[in-house]
Order: sequence, then C-alpha cells, then structure tokens
Amino acid sequence: MPSTLLDHLHPILAVLIAISGIMAVLSFNVMFCIYAERKVSAWIQRRMGPMEVGYHGTLQTFADMLKLLSKQLITPKGVDKPIYHLAPIVVFAPVVAAASLIPFWGGVLISNIDIGLVLVFMFGGFAVMGIFMAGWGSNNKYALLGAMRSVAQNISYEIPLILSALSVVLMVGAMGRGLVIDGQAVKITGTNLAHIVLVQQHADIWFIVYQPVAALIFFIATLAETNRTPFDIPEAESELVAGFHTEYSGMRFAIFFFAEFSNMFIGAMVATVLFFGGWDGPILPGPIWFFLKTYILIFVMMWVRWTYPRLRFDQLMTLCWSVFIPISILNLLVTAFVIKAS
Amino acid sequence: MRYIRKIAGGFKTLVTGLGVTAKEIGKKPVTLQYPHEKPELSTAYRSLIKLIRFDELGTHDCVACMQCVNICPSYCITIEGGKVEGIKRKRATRFEVDFALCSLCGLCIDTCPTTTLEYSRLYDEAGYERNWTYDLLAEFEGYEPEFREKQREVEAKEAAERDAKKAAKPSEPKDGGA
Repeated sequence: MPSTLLDHLHPILAVLIAISGIMAVLSFNVMFCIYAERKVSAWIQRRMGPMEVGYHGTLQTFADMLKLLSKQLITPKGVDKPIYHLAPIVVFAPVVAAASLIPFWGGVLISNIDIGLVLVFMFGGFAVMGIFMAGWGSNNKYALLGAMRSVAQNISYEIPLILSALSVVLMVGAMGRGLVIDGQAVKITGTNLAHIVLVQQHADIWFIVYQPVAALIFFIATLAETNRTPFDIPEAESELVAGFHTEYSGMRFAIFFFAEFSNMFIGAMVATVLFFGGWDGPILPGPIWFFLKTYILIFVMMWVRWTYPRLRFDQLMTLCWSVFIPISILNLLVTAFVIKAS
Repeated sequence: MRYIRKIAGGFKTLVTGLGVTAKEIGKKPVTLQYPHEKPELSTAYRSLIKLIRFDELGTHDCVACMQCVNICPSYCITIEGGKVEGIKRKRATRFEVDFALCSLCGLCIDTCPTTTLEYSRLYDEAGYERNWTYDLLAEFEGYEPEFREKQREVEAKEAAERDAKKAAKPSEPKDGGA
C-alpha cells in the first residue's frame, strides 16, 4: 500500500518538498522535451538539430530560456488587462496541481487521493479556460479564433478521453475486489491512480493488453488535449499566426510553452499509469520504469507530430464525434458486459 | 461496414506514414555543418580568378600582355607591368580584380597566352564594405625577387651557351647560305 509524503512529514514541510520537487521535475522535463523535440524532428528530417551550444546542443534550451527571460514583456494596447495577465497563471497552475497527483513510485507518493484520475481530468479542463482567457483578453482576432478552436476541440476530445479511461476504471474496480497485498486487504478505488498501478502490478498484466482500443483512443485524445501537431489547430501557424498566445511575449509566452510541454508530460504519465503499469517493471527501480515508459510515449507523440499534417477543423470534429466517441462508448459497454458476465 | 472499412483504411495509412518517418530516423544527416565543414566544390565551379603558381618558375607567369584586360566585358581587371632589368619577358607589378564587377565569364582565362589564370575556390566571401578589389599578386610578393634572380641566372647561362655555340661554329650558317 503506497504511503504519501504527508504520512511521513510535517504537512507544511511535505507541501514545500512536493512543490519544489514537482517544479524541478517539470522544469527538467520541459528543457529535455524541447531538446528532444528538436532532435527527433531533426532525425526524421535527416538534419542534425541544435549542435552549437554545449555538447551536441544540449545547452540550447537553456540558452533559449535565458533569452526569453531577458526579453521585454510587451502588453499591447487594448487588451483586457486582468484577464490578459491572469491567463498564463490559469494555464500553468493546474499543470503543477495535476502533476502532484501522479504516482511516480510505489514507495512514497506525493499525494494519494481516491479521486486522483477525476482531478487530473479536471485540471486538464482548467487549461482550456486559461487558453480561452488568453485568446479573449488579447483583443486579437487570431488569438480569439485560436482560443475558440481550442475550446471546441478540448471539450470534444475530453469525452473519448474520459470514456476510454473509464473502461480502465471499471476493470480496476472489478479486478481489485478483495485484493490482498502483503497479507493486508486493500480497498481498491478505480479512480485512485496508485490503485490502478497496484492492480496491474498484482495481476501481472498491463491494461493495454485488455484495452488496446481504449489505449489508442486515450493516446490520440491526449494528443488533441495537449494541442499537439495533427491536432494543433488552435495555434495553426499558417492560419492564425501563433493562435491564442499571439500577443504574449517573453516569459509570458514561455509559461504557455512550459504548460504545453508539461501537459504533454502529464498526458503521457497518465497513459503510463492507466495502460502501461506505471512504476511496474522488473529489475530496475520503479521511478526509472515510470519515466522510461513516459518518455517512450512522449517520443511517440513527437514521432506522430513530425509525420502527419495538421487536420482541418471539420475533419478534427468529424474524427472525434463520429469515430472516437462511438467507439469508446462501444468499448465501455463491451467492457462493462464482460465484467458483469464474468 | 463501410464505416469500419473507412476507419481501418485510414488507420492503415497512418501506420504506413509512421513507418516512412521511422525509416528516416538513424540515417546519416544530410546537413553540412558549414562553418566547421567546407563543401566539396565542383571542378567546374566558377569564382574569382587567380594566378597559377608554376613549379618550374616558383611563381605566376603573368607577362602583363593586357589581353585579359582588353577582352574583359566588365572592365574589372587592372594590370600594370613592364620590362624588368635583366629578364627577357615582361612582368606584372600590379594585378587587381574588382570582383563586384566580374561576371565570371572566363574570357580572361581562355585568352591568357601563358595559361597562368584559372578560377579560384573562393566561395564564402562576405563583408561589410563595398570594396571587392582583390590583389592577385599579394600571395606572390615574396617569390618575385627570387624568381627574377633565378631567371637572370638562367637567361645569362642560356646566353652564355648560345655564345659558346656561336663561337664553336662561327661560319656554318653563312657557308650553307652562300
């Protein structure tokens, strides 16, 4: 039974450690992901990518970050100031909150909440609000168009995302009934992220075996939720300049960027927990397995990004409403019937 | 049924696409790391002209005949030169090309009677000034006195040999002619 930081330490100390730890992990991840994104795109296009700053360009992201830090923050005339200034925070804060819910390791967790999965999706929903605030507050037609697209897309794709996660939750609930770990009966909750991993660990099988369709839909919906390329119409460069963050410069832009890459990270982590057994794996310690799986998924996301062209908006919506939603509902129903029958 | 076939078909093309990009990963990049690596230029590459250094002379062989100056359609070559004390051939003392005017037609190279002109391998010349006049003799500066000295010796030797020949058979041609 995984214990949390709160069980071991004074609450305030635990919160401080958790926040600094999460920020460190997220910052490192963003640096690494931007570097990896450039390298993966370079490999796919038979280029070399960043090569000049540091060994094979490893310090390139650091240099870019310093550049962004030193840039002037430009606030255009006519923006809706409170909304405009608040938007980056609203986009960024839920990312940290969502990251704190992820069970990196079975030993000590940052937090272990029974509704962890629900909360992660809820914080994902917050990001949509932040993006719309950015688009609306910017007083720019491209930003507004990008924000509107983002809202439509995110809300549509949340349905297959949650439905496919729900079929896993059903299985966890069914398989975890009467689960005994270390001679101790554990009451399993389907939406507890740590319990999802525990059930997979105990059954010695990853849910991708039982739920390949749900895994695929979850992965594609994650791409759409994080505005990654085949679904990056909210910031379609060729149509909307830069979409919702057109009017943001310097560190404000960097925060949007940070949130985007962190969302991708969180999406991959949730997929790892739901379908790839979380920290479960032989020989190597748990966290290494966890991050290995996460980064493999992130690599696939990058691979997908540099392979497919951007979808048209109606294609995107058709894909969601007439393919992913019916199939995920069907998948959920079949899962429910099989669980009930067995 | 058509619905399923459509999804399956779409899925298949997506996987094919991923395969196409996956094959590219790990191939050798085509990038040339330019300032660190230099490109291999074609043998037909045309750039600023330069003077060839001949091994037997130790330097260039421009005799300031002005044929290149006269044939140049862009009037970009400036040559000064003339007779040098003790040497039979003329020598150029100034050879400048205004590369800003040069159209790389190569007529100077074709017309050069001593074939001492050719295209150089310059390709990354960029600067902040408008002055693109190159002094082609700059690289030969140190070799010129030595060459002249040697040439004087060679010519003196040749002259001596000729004199010796003349002395040995003084009246042969005259006899034949008579």
